[in-house]
Amino acid sequence: MSQHHSEKEFNELVAGYFGGRITRRRFIQQAAKLGISAALLSRIVPATYAADENLLDSSPASPTESPITKERVEFLKSKPYKGQTINVMVLKATVGDGLKHWVPLWEEATGGKVNVAEVPIDTLHQQIFSDLQTTHRYDAYMTGAWFYGDFFVPKEPYIVEVEPFRKDPKYPFWTPDEWIPAMKTLYTWQGKVYGVLFDGDCQILYYRRDIFDNPENQAKFKEKMGYDFPNPPKLMKEMHDVATFYTGWDWNGDGKPDWGISLHAKVNEQGFFHFLTLAAPYVCSPNNKFFWFNPDTMKPLINSEGHQRALEDYVKFLSNGPKEAISWTLGQGWALFLSGNAVMEPTWGDLPTFAQDPKESKVQGKVGATIIPGTSEAFDPIKGQWDKFDLNTVGNTNGGTWHCVISRFSKKQEPTYDFLAFMATRKNALWNCTHGFTGVQPGMRFEYFPPAGTGRVEEWVEQGWNAEEAKRYLEAYYKNLTLPVQESYLRIPGTAEYWHELDVRVSAVLAGQTQAKAALDDCAQAWERITDRYGRDKQKALYQASYAS
Amino acid sequence: MEATASVQRKAERVFKYALLAPAVIWVIALTFFPILAAIHFSFANYVLGEGITGYVGFDNYIRVLTDGGFWYAIFITALFVGITIPIEACLGFTLAWIITIGLPAKSFFRPIFTAPLFTTEVAIGYLGVTLFTDQGGLVAALFNSLGIHIDWLSSAAGGLAAAMILDIWIWTPFIFLMSLAALSAISKEIYDAAMLEASSHWQVLRHVAIPLAWPVLTIAVLLRVIEGLKSFGLPYALTSGGPGTSTQLFSIMADLTTIQFTDFGRGSAMGILYLILVSVVITFFFKQMRRRIE
Amino acid sequence: MENLLWRNSKLASKFIAMLIACAGAVWVIVPFLWAINNSLKTHADIFKPHAIIPFLQFTPTMDAWNFVLGDPQVLNCLFSSTLVSVGTTLFVLLIGTPAAYSLARFEFRRMKSRDITLWFLSQRVLPPVVVLVPFYILLAQLGLIDTWTGLILLYSTFNLAFCVVIMRDIFRDVSKEVEEAARIEGASLWQIFWMIALPLSLDGLIVTAFIVFAFSWNEALFASAVTSQHAATMPAFILASRSTRGVDFNFAAVNTILAIAPPVILSFFVQRYLARGLSFGAVKG
Repeated sequence: MSQHHSEKEFNELVAGYFGGRITRRRFIQQAAKLGISAALLSRIVPATYAADENLLDSSPASPTESPITKERVEFLKSKPYKGQTINVMVLKATVGDGLKHWVPLWEEATGGKVNVAEVPIDTLHQQIFSDLQTTHRYDAYMTGAWFYGDFFVPKEPYIVEVEPFRKDPKYPFWTPDEWIPAMKTLYTWQGKVYGVLFDGDCQILYYRRDIFDNPENQAKFKEKMGYDFPNPPKLMKEMHDVATFYTGWDWNGDGKPDWGISLHAKVNEQGFFHFLTLAAPYVCSPNNKFFWFNPDTMKPLINSEGHQRALEDYVKFLSNGPKEAISWTLGQGWALFLSGNAVMEPTWGDLPTFAQDPKESKVQGKVGATIIPGTSEAFDPIKGQWDKFDLNTVGNTNGGTWHCVISRFSKKQEPTYDFLAFMATRKNALWNCTHGFTGVQPGMRFEYFPPAGTGRVEEWVEQGWNAEEAKRYLEAYYKNLTLPVQESYLRIPGTAEYWHELDVRVSAVLAGQTQAKAALDDCAQAWERITDRYGRDKQKALYQASYAS
Repeated sequence: MEATASVQRKAERVFKYALLAPAVIWVIALTFFPILAAIHFSFANYVLGEGITGYVGFDNYIRVLTDGGFWYAIFITALFVGITIPIEACLGFTLAWIITIGLPAKSFFRPIFTAPLFTTEVAIGYLGVTLFTDQGGLVAALFNSLGIHIDWLSSAAGGLAAAMILDIWIWTPFIFLMSLAALSAISKEIYDAAMLEASSHWQVLRHVAIPLAWPVLTIAVLLRVIEGLKSFGLPYALTSGGPGTSTQLFSIMADLTTIQFTDFGRGSAMGILYLILVSVVITFFFKQMRRRIE
Repeated sequence: MENLLWRNSKLASKFIAMLIACAGAVWVIVPFLWAINNSLKTHADIFKPHAIIPFLQFTPTMDAWNFVLGDPQVLNCLFSSTLVSVGTTLFVLLIGTPAAYSLARFEFRRMKSRDITLWFLSQRVLPPVVVLVPFYILLAQLGLIDTWTGLILLYSTFNLAFCVVIMRDIFRDVSKEVEEAARIEGASLWQIFWMIALPLSLDGLIVTAFIVFAFSWNEALFASAVTSQHAATMPAFILASRSTRGVDFNFAAVNTILAIAPPVILSFFVQRYLARGLSFGAVKG
């Protein structure tokens, strides 16, 4: 088999298959002709359902669902949910708005009605679990990924699996197999899928590519630091040097000194996610995937040498930004980058999205993206030793990854699932990603550009994106999510509490109120107390379970 | 004569109980269960999803009492109240006095001075972030132009100061209103008589108004103290208790424990301890103040 | 209230008084102006340095206003807030004022009036967050989650203390001589209460009403915890200005202005009535 020739054809084949233009059978036939082995094929094209054969590109019965099964077209003829109202609780935010967008379209197609309640993000957790435990007024809740542990505490989980519904071809078509595995984990528990596709968060490094590409800056850097400018930085050390280099002088021509990095660290405002993202390569590696606890003893790992060094370095990063940043909210951190005054920011996909909006930013067309730099040395907290690497990069899925789950107590699980799946069909999911107001980021392969997926740059440009920016953003995002080593996401009961204890201590260290080692040791103690309160054995079992999926 | 007297007394008894009963019954009916539940929780270990997993005796109480964070929160809260309330009292009463003596354009000033009371604390907290921030905040700009640089939101002292300033802004109207009521209850004749003897209205204020308005003023201050110790929305929206936990007033700590962490056991214990602590102080305070008048 | 205090004051005293009043007015108004400023800014401008004077230093935009006012939930919340606050105030005055009068005039056998008052006062001491969940469960049992009735129930319980404690003091100050004179004339206890004590303490009633209304209007914690949609009030709506990106400060500013507008406008109207009410205090000798 000739490499080049077949690779191109194969890519086209793949694009055609995922784009719903050719059926699975034909794809396998053609691929086999190209000499692709059956084993490889079965990994690319996992067993899907017979429904695959019935997939149409689209149908006027439900114009936004694409692809759509013949059974569904038939099913919709009777306006099946006429007279039924489902109640969905979401948080009042971008993602809530994203969900609301689909309500009239689904209602039109199916005859059902959706009643959306928006609650403040502060009370979302309390509202969800109060409802689950007492009033049972809602059929579905939009949840953050870290709530999952709490759903599975009772013997019978609070939420229901979606696979039994999904198998039925009368529902909108989507498939969990198209998830990038790291993202799929957040929607599943012990191998079973509970969430329906919506958002897919992770943090990567965004930077000012126009400033980085500037040869004058590069020359200055080489002069000052003694080595070629890393464009973009690949090692943590390089990232530090770049941040330091760009702090304190006016590189954007506005007359005021600028900053090397923008971070935000206000307590209770998701600031600690920055620390988690940047600390990952200090602890996670091909040798160790455990960031939080020792899976055998449930003892916290948070005060390991690796974590400590990560925190000390994190403090250094914050000295390359305004002092007030330690009390900033997320939006304030973004504002510094979007106004053009910071050269880097490790954060969520909202940043490049907002960068395209002239009302929010001055930097459209200037944003580059790359994975979080890695380390040359990572600490294995289980073995207690430092391991050396050429370049240890770690991916992450940090963030809310907001999506809906169905309540076990719902008496309308079918229309509820129908609505959720409606938003998850390829066309609609892609629409969510390209329209910034939804706050949705891509978690499924097809949402990316070829060769990874079947997305088209034109769709993004239509929404006001700078083409180059969209490409770089998606490329880096995809690379992060598919890195072999991933920082695991904590999903056990009490996650909010564990995180908060870390959050306040990181904040205290940043404010100079305490030292890294003392703070982390204290944090570990606090975590032990939390674990004891929830029941050590139960926590251990759930911790191990959350890794198993 | 005797018969009428006892009939009168009986009528009185029925009357006084009839007037009081609805309020008392209402409060008991609605607070009985919640208070009982709080006490119940305080002796238990509560886990979300499982409910009460077991009873732990006084463990929760001991944990709270031995937690440095708890005492720090109490201290910070007491400090907060100790500084803001005297200032509110002076400002509120002074403004009420100025209105009472006959300030022109009263119908303009009075609603203005009352207005902040109607704001939601959380909203003012958010507003405060944009006022005190280094990045374009009005107050920060003002101080910077005077050459004074304060780390308003990124330090414990600064955060508390900002919260106090906003607290004074919101709650001075409370004292203002009550002072107004107290001062207006003093008759015109008394004021006029006093003014004939005094050389300025400030003297009337000192020798006549304050003593006469003292009972209501003490109630106003007492109510403010009770409310102030529970301060939540404003500091929460402004600093979330940060950096670290250095501006974590008691209510913020209680909210985190009870709502965010669903640790009802410890949260309830915290609440009960706080209730005991403050009740003792309040009772003492109340009786002392009353003694001066009764 | 025309009195000698002002007329006979020295010019300097009057000037200082006026100065203080103006300073006070500025102190109150500036944050509101800043809120208006914020509401007219884009996200990018909120944290732009030197963006203080509209048009001169930044370009105002109606975006935030359009966004918030375009949400039908806003009207709903304003309505809920009004309904709940008015309902609570009326109910509290209804059962609290008689109780306060009773405690002011009479003594009780088992407990001293002062101690009963203290008990009412103690209802305000406990931070509400500690009893949030039990109250939620209580409301859930009664089927009152996300209803106006539920909120009025809660707020009445919380704010009754204000009425009882404040009005008790006001009643104690009201002239006993007038009441005794009426008693001798043969008026019943009820008539004395209704036709003499109440009118004489009108300004106290109004102040109490203001306070209960304000506390009901601004209550954020329970409002956001026990309502999700139908009965959500303005404070819950304000809390929701906090989204996944942190606080949307321009939306929050719009919400702040919207939330304060009804009570402030209301108080402007009531103040005129208050002016009349204040002169009732003149009866006391």
